[in-house]
Amino acid sequence: MAWIMKNSADAQIETRDEPYLTPDMEKKLREVYMPRYERPKGALFPALHMVQHHYGWIPQQAMQEIADVLEIAPSEVLDTVSFYEEYWELPKGEHLISVCRSIACEFCSATACTEAIKAKLGIDVGQTTDDGKFTLVELECLGSCGTAPVALIDDDLHENLSPDRIVSMIDQVQNGTYTQGGTGAVKEDL
Amino acid sequence: MPKKTWENTLTQHHLLKRIPTAPFGNIRDRHIVGYDEYVKTGGYEGLRKAMAMKPADVTSQVKDSVLRGRGGAGFPTGLKWTFLPDADGGQRYLAINADESEPGTFKDRLLMDFDPHGLLEGIAICMYACRLNKAYIFIRGEYHHQAHVLEEAIKEAYENGIFGEKGLLNQAGVSGDPFVGECYVHRGAGAYICGEETALLEGIEGKRGWPRIKPPFPALKGLFGRPTIINNVETLAHLPFIMSDGSDAFKNQGVESSIGGPPSFGTKLMGVSGHVEKPGCYELELGIPLRTLIEDYCGGIRGGKKFKGAIPGGVSMGILGRDQFDAEMDFDIGRKYDVLGLGTSGPTVFDEDTDMVAVARNIARFYKHESCGQCTPCREGSGWLYQIMTRIEAGDAKTKDLDLAMEVAKSMGSMPGTTICGLADGNNWAARTIMEKYHEEFEARVARTFVPVTIDMAALSGA
Ligand SMILES: Cc1cc2nc3c(=O)[nH]c(=O)nc-3n(C[C@H](O)[C@H](O)[C@H](O)COP(=O)(O)O)c2cc1C
Ligand code: SF4
Ligand code: FES
Repeated sequence: MAWIMKNSADAQIETRDEPYLTPDMEKKLREVYMPRYERPKGALFPALHMVQHHYGWIPQQAMQEIADVLEIAPSEVLDTVSFYEEYWELPKGEHLISVCRSIACEFCSATACTEAIKAKLGIDVGQTTDDGKFTLVELECLGSCGTAPVALIDDDLHENLSPDRIVSMIDQVQNGTYTQGGTGAVKEDL
Repeated sequence: MPKKTWENTLTQHHLLKRIPTAPFGNIRDRHIVGYDEYVKTGGYEGLRKAMAMKPADVTSQVKDSVLRGRGGAGFPTGLKWTFLPDADGGQRYLAINADESEPGTFKDRLLMDFDPHGLLEGIAICMYACRLNKAYIFIRGEYHHQAHVLEEAIKEAYENGIFGEKGLLNQAGVSGDPFVGECYVHRGAGAYICGEETALLEGIEGKRGWPRIKPPFPALKGLFGRPTIINNVETLAHLPFIMSDGSDAFKNQGVESSIGGPPSFGTKLMGVSGHVEKPGCYELELGIPLRTLIEDYCGGIRGGKKFKGAIPGGVSMGILGRDQFDAEMDFDIGRKYDVLGLGTSGPTVFDEDTDMVAVARNIARFYKHESCGQCTPCREGSGWLYQIMTRIEAGDAKTKDLDLAMEVAKSMGSMPGTTICGLADGNNWAARTIMEKYHEEFEARVARTFVPVTIDMAALSGA
């Protein structure tokens, strides 16, 4: 996983004038999240989730800004970011398709779904389409093994997939007719 | 206690009371149960009963029920609570393990999807009994929807006087020692290892999920160095029933140990996946034979095929072989059937056409991917096992690779004493039991290792 380190002694970070941490985010971080924890660093996950959700990835400048608010070293933020799979250190596609590859799904034909997506988008697992619309990844068990195979399109879980169904869902995303919400009556407005 | 028969066990139990499940209800009728509906159907009764008792008596009742942890290890919950030191006025924490990432496990999700107050009531009971003033629900990052449902439910619970300044805990009747109880959702970020209890604490502290060396145990020095209890979602969701109906009602369900060990009382969520006709999550009494579970509830093996094997509860437990279809799903399973344990009791079932070498390879890949990298036997061993399994699957391996895989597997884990946490034990048991119970399949896939010997025929014939 994350024990492989890059040499970062002479690394330069890219910056821009406008902060990544918007005033709203900073306010929420200071007023909602930080008071929840005995030490400010406890609020690191929620802070990173906010940035990840908003930008789709976590730029190093944002890590620095978060570090400033939480009064910790930027390297501590990087340490956490680099360990967890859900935090992206580089930009990814506009939509993230994550197919489960664990035990129940693989043996209920998840591989066929992955192959169909690869063929449809012309990319391999771990890659992003040239138009920047889709990134495809495989994840371990998504906690829905009873309805295998399953995949996430962004935050939404889709169950009982077949190659045809997942491909038609990608079509819908492409032509703008995709309505969020996976299988079942679970998805209600909250 | 009379021996249980399993013919007429089709009863609706308490965990899924509000979550329609076949054959008692239609899955389509499932909906999020809000505070009002929860209370109307008897909710928060357990908490009220608990609060009319002294905290120590609540702990005793839980201890008396012999509720055992539903997160995988089966540790007695009441006993765990007694390890806490006396309250000293400082922070004391409850960390709820909702990381649910063990492949083949999908039970906690169901509770959080539809009946979040069941969990919140359990949390409040635990906080009252153990004098814990802050609870963090550590939920895996991929459970976006469930995190939202919980957030909403927590908001309702604050508004209706369960948590917070005006909450029940702060009026703490009988204890005479009120405190402000807070409850938060803390979302994880995609790492299986955060399900390990001390890695989970690191995650709440904002750090990488590296399990801690124990001792000190979390009950003494846990979150932010303070006393902490860690319990699984399902474990806590049992508490309302134990408090409202009493520990005897709980003990009427489930079974005594058949080998003189600690009992397996109560019901258990069993999420069945893989090659069965009707996969899904059912609530059953502990002790039900796997065969009954699959034939009576899940419509049998898919397509009328034969049973080949099943993982009893998450890949870490190893595998039940062809001849172990009648294994009873209770906490004795480990000692009786050569698996690590009951785990999360979510069987993943394989039919006769399954390639067990591929199963072993899939599981080995999981551990290679999820090892946190702190301990050499786990970090390196998981990679080795994956490479060997891939080689066997591709037909490029030799007999000696089987011995090597076995040796590597046996050497890793906290039970052989070479690693910090139990992730490596899971890897060990999964690889080893699959290779042992299906050795003929592995042997058929490898080239014989032999030493070439040249014989001088001319010399032999004496010419
Ligand atoms: C590698 C590893 C992963 C684990 N993952 C989980 C998990 O996802 N959910 C869980 O409840 N327990 C998990 N556990 C078990 C916890 O460490 C701990 O035993 C449990 O949360 C205690 O709660 P309980 O006593 O209520 O079962 C895991 C353990 C290990 C070693
Ligand atoms: S056993 Fe593996 S997962 Fe557990 S602490 Fe060691 S390296 Fe990490
Ligand atoms: S194995 Fe795919 S969701 Fe569990």
